Amino acid sequence: MKVYFLKRLLLVIPTLIGVTLVVFAITRFLPGGPVEQALMQGQMADGQESRSSSEGIGLAPGQIEQLESYYGFDKPWYRAYADWLLQVAQGDLGKSYRYQVPVTTMILDRVPISAYYGLITFVLTYSVCVPLGILKAIQHRTRLDSVTSIVVFTGYAIPGYVLAALLLVFFAFQLEWFPTGGFVSPDFADLSFSGQVVDLIQHSVLPLVCYMIGNFAFLTLLMKNSLIDNLAADYMRTATAKGLSFRRSVLNHALRNSLIPIATNFGNALSIFVAGSFLIEKIFSIDGMGLLGYTALIQRDYPVVMGILLISSILLLVGNIISDMLVAAVDPRVRFD
Amino acid sequence: MNPITRRKLARFRSIRRGYWSFIVLMAIIVASAFAELWINQRALVVYYEGEFYFPTYGSEHTGQTFGEEYRYEANYRALKEEFAAPGNPNWVIMPLVPYSPDESIYQEGSYPPYPPSFEREHYLGTDPLGRDILARLVYGFRIALGFSLALMTCTYLLAIVIGCAMGYFGSWIDLIGQRLMEIWSNIPFLYVVIILASTIPPNVGPGTRIGGLLLVMVIFNWVGMANYMRTASYREKSRDYIAAARVIGTGPTRIIFRHLLPNTLSIVITFIPFTVATGITSLTALDFLGFGIPPPTPSWGELLQQGTQRLDAPWIVTSTFFGMVTVLILVTFVGEAFREAFDPKKFSFYR
Repeated sequence: MKVYFLKRLLLVIPTLIGVTLVVFAITRFLPGGPVEQALMQGQMADGQESRSSSEGIGLAPGQIEQLESYYGFDKPWYRAYADWLLQVAQGDLGKSYRYQVPVTTMILDRVPISAYYGLITFVLTYSVCVPLGILKAIQHRTRLDSVTSIVVFTGYAIPGYVLAALLLVFFAFQLEWFPTGGFVSPDFADLSFSGQVVDLIQHSVLPLVCYMIGNFAFLTLLMKNSLIDNLAADYMRTATAKGLSFRRSVLNHALRNSLIPIATNFGNALSIFVAGSFLIEKIFSIDGMGLLGYTALIQRDYPVVMGILLISSILLLVGNIISDMLVAAVDPRVRFD
Repeated sequence: MNPITRRKLARFRSIRRGYWSFIVLMAIIVASAFAELWINQRALVVYYEGEFYFPTYGSEHTGQTFGEEYRYEANYRALKEEFAAPGNPNWVIMPLVPYSPDESIYQEGSYPPYPPSFEREHYLGTDPLGRDILARLVYGFRIALGFSLALMTCTYLLAIVIGCAMGYFGSWIDLIGQRLMEIWSNIPFLYVVIILASTIPPNVGPGTRIGGLLLVMVIFNWVGMANYMRTASYREKSRDYIAAARVIGTGPTRIIFRHLLPNTLSIVITFIPFTVATGITSLTALDFLGFGIPPPTPSWGELLQQGTQRLDAPWIVTSTFFGMVTVLILVTFVGEAFREAFDPKKFSFYR
């Protein structure tokens, strides 16, 4: 088993190379890259004074080459990719084209925001969904089940960012119950500790609702269906036949087995440190990981894009492996060999 | 129809929430398909000088047809007011919402967006450019649904071909395919779509743009379905009936089309509603960010974007939210009922 997981861990590397290679190649071959962006900015700064040269750009002939070599665009793409990979292997993600700040710093600055939302969403979702799923499974096809089903499916059908737009208009703008955006208020540092806590909570209520609404249905139904599966299993009939009460047979036998698929999701919790929906962050103007990636994309700040991609892929892939390890740990029948 | 399918359909009908959602959803789709009949700047019927005109479909009638000075398309709303004068034998019947989705209407003395008003027949108000929101919602739905259905068809075709080949032939096809799928499923889809969509030059026609968007989305959407098809074909392949078919000398093409696909595709049906819903939401997200279908094409994403820009006009977000959520909830209910009806597993426990 150890060998298996070691193999899996080693296989992460080729996958990572594949993922980054595809995105790197895309950023290379598409027009509108950093050189063009810099040229456009130069043009705007020059304004009317720009000489209309034969290329139509007001730049000295050598300047384009200079820009290209500055951004590393003078090399063939495979060389540039190899350079980037070598740099990453040394733990350096490069500098942002736009802000001239190390990418690692930019990402680390956002980790607390992502972790804050990710962790709270994670804990709240699990502490509501697991009991609700159990209840729904035991009460399958009763009124309680169908009423909660309507609620759960409605939540499932509403995309988080669409709800975000509605909440923003009504609860933040019209009713003014909550601030219209940001992670904390601009004067956060001046507040007392209790003031800071209140401020943080006020800012996070609306985004948290939007983050939770999607996961909610998935986890509840996973719990319900997995418990229902186990309720119909033969060992449950045996348990009842030997005289165990329904309550005891569910708690002692079915529930333990039905928690296995839930455990598989725990590994993916690793991703919460870099997670963040850029749609929700954009609407509530939270300067988190999602918005960082989105603005980097728009501004063609490729080192930042690649950095976020690399880190989130690593966490996702390792998270998957941890999930499988958890399954193997809780379910003795599972053998990966 | 084979008896198993008939039983499944009967079961679907017996799940009332899903069945009624299906009927309502179909009604909405049909109504939006004929949106021109009830949301249009063109009149339904015009009676002018003893003759009937039905301008809804077909080529446009100029103002001169109805005795006006101008040569461009007749303004039916103005005609209606004019004909309403006492003693005028002519008349015009306008659709329920007498505006087209692309028409900017400015009211004197104020700037749009205008709040909902029954009097002006802007039942859900207008957007910041003075266009009727109900009209944009309905036409936007039609486009999003069409796009989503096209996306689904292309994605499923690609996924079924790849998944089936991987599952049935196995060996190196499977190995390469699995690596490819692992890489593909780790590439954040919206990122790549945004990078690619932002490079489609703005001067290409909307048709090319939509086609390009569709292609990009298909390329990054097939993995999940292919994975399912791979497992399903792999499982079916080891069944006795396939072995029997092979023993009597059936070729792979015939086995795949006559035996494998009919036995794996039935579950695919249960994915359709969810795929359609995902298609609609991804397109709306892209439109919201400005990388989807180019303006002035009506779209839900554009409406949401306008709504979050103009917080003082809550009717924009509210109408879009409820329109979108109604459709998505109906689709989800239908999907859930489909799944329950077509899933071979049944649950039972004797308490």
